[in-house]
Amino acid sequence: MTPPPPPAEPVAALIRPVPVARDSQVNRDLLRVMEGTSIGYWALLHLAVFFMLAAGGVWVYQVYKGLGIAGYAHPIFWGAYIVTFVFWVGIAHAGTLISAILYLFRAKWRNAINRSAEAMTVFAVLTAAQFLGIHVGRMWKSYFILPYPNQRALWVNFKSPLLWDTFAITTYATTSMVFLYVGLIPDLAIARDRSTGWRRAIYSVLSLGWQGTSRQWKSHSRTVLHLSGLATPLVLSVHSVVSWDFAMSIVPGWHATIFAPYFVAGAIFSGFAMVLTMMIPVRRIYGLEAYITDYHFENMSRFLLLTSIIVGYAYGAEYFMAWYSGVEAEQTSFWKRAFGPYWISTWVMIICNAFVPQLLWFKKIRTHVPTLFVISVLINIGMWFERYVIIITGLSREYDPAVWGIYTPSWPELIIVAGSFGFFCQFFLIFLKLFPVVAIAEVKELEIHAKAHGGRH
Amino acid sequence: MPQLLGVFGQPHDIAAAARRLRDRGFTDIETFAPAPFEEVEDAVLPKPSPVRVFTLIGGLTGVVTGYALTLWMANDWQIMLGGKPFSSIPPYTIIAFELTILFGGLMTLLGLLTIGRLPSFKTHKAYSARFSAEDFGLVVTCRDRDVAEIDGLMREHHASEVSVVEA
Repeated sequence: MTPPPPPAEPVAALIRPVPVARDSQVNRDLLRVMEGTSIGYWALLHLAVFFMLAAGGVWVYQVYKGLGIAGYAHPIFWGAYIVTFVFWVGIAHAGTLISAILYLFRAKWRNAINRSAEAMTVFAVLTAAQFLGIHVGRMWKSYFILPYPNQRALWVNFKSPLLWDTFAITTYATTSMVFLYVGLIPDLAIARDRSTGWRRAIYSVLSLGWQGTSRQWKSHSRTVLHLSGLATPLVLSVHSVVSWDFAMSIVPGWHATIFAPYFVAGAIFSGFAMVLTMMIPVRRIYGLEAYITDYHFENMSRFLLLTSIIVGYAYGAEYFMAWYSGVEAEQTSFWKRAFGPYWISTWVMIICNAFVPQLLWFKKIRTHVPTLFVISVLINIGMWFERYVIIITGLSREYDPAVWGIYTPSWPELIIVAGSFGFFCQFFLIFLKLFPVVAIAEVKELEIHAKAHGGRH
Repeated sequence: MPQLLGVFGQPHDIAAAARRLRDRGFTDIETFAPAPFEEVEDAVLPKPSPVRVFTLIGGLTGVVTGYALTLWMANDWQIMLGGKPFSSIPPYTIIAFELTILFGGLMTLLGLLTIGRLPSFKTHKAYSARFSAEDFGLVVTCRDRDVAEIDGLMREHHASEVSVVEA
């Protein structure tokens, strides 16, 4: 009879506790967002992808049929696509503002929201860029706008605002991606140290072997500082350049020097509203109340109030200048804006952007999160209509009444516009599960400082 | 030569320990920190980071490229537009500005990679996941006879553990 085989491991090894690496609360709380996916998450992701695919299908149809399927009618050949392009470029402004300008001003409260806002910036610019191609119709000829050597030895026209736009948007997309990535490196290292399998492989590559040495942190801090210094004038320039697409023309309602600051304020306004619209549900679903506090939301709503006042002032100033200039075409254009065929859009814009945010004067409303969510959604709607009003009413009532016209968005345009929201949301939803949605290292910096000085941040 | 690893909980403790070690003449010092703390970084590398040079070079290259590109292209094939001069500086300033930012930003990223020595393919022997949690690590290479002294010095600055890094 053979003796039974000895146990594979001594019993002592089985009862010895497995050594668990000490981890911080911040890491655990913030990395948990990336773990697991609920049915609700998949439902939302599928919905977003469905919208995007529907828009993609319609776009293929547009390529096949031509731009005639859009609702363009003489003299209006800038329609919902350009409106939505400007809308998404505007949304893209909050991220860099929070990351760069508030960084330079040392506003500590930005730390909880800067990552998500930067990500939204990148996704919004990507979404906006789609519309340039969709709008020109023959998307495969889009490269004509770039200064490349060609057989005709002909160069692009650098005096055109559309060229400025190309350079501004390209620079903005690149710089905001660099900004997002640089900020992510230390957090990716945190995720790398705590993950296994394919995630560990991805984070190892993306974190570039980050170990938080003094040399790495020193150059990292310097890089963030310099990128902030570069991005601050950039963020102000991008929407100024977009506004010059209109203001450089002689169209009544567009030809105004106020356009650049007016557009920049509007962009920041809509960007902050979008960050609130996205982050209020995220905070609630993932229980991030300890990191993204009501204080953060309150500060953002103060920004909304400030920019709403600037935007409201610009609306008023436009009307005043139209009246004061004595130019009949301007006066007619603005009269028709408020009481002409597009009066609904105009009043939606004025009420949502100038009046509704005035509620934020009250602390009770600033700290009541559901109300804040509703206000932020209304602002998003109002800001889409703002661009609609500026572009469509401007073009529909130019100098000569004989060439006045009416434009109504067609169903393919509306589906593509709806698809852009799906396009944006799917990126954001995937980002939530792959990357830390709150800047972990920066939150930790505040916590360690607070611990060292015996107080809470 | 042995390497000693001290684990600290507070940035000012590790910074003070690193400064004293440097004053004692130890040059091979490395720190691991979970977040950026200027005092810790300055204790090891007192000089400002040269990333600034990259940004400057990138920005200057951008502004020169922006003006050169626009001015040359406008004059290479001259087209009269709205009676404006071929070399219209104001609109070209916008292109020059955007390229300043673009090149400056990309060069700053290159600066981070070069000066920060990234990507780094070797993980330091003393590095562990605790340093991406909340602990600070201070590694110093020393001679055998200094081990006891450094151990004492680190503990004096509230090091929670001191150990020899295994080769």
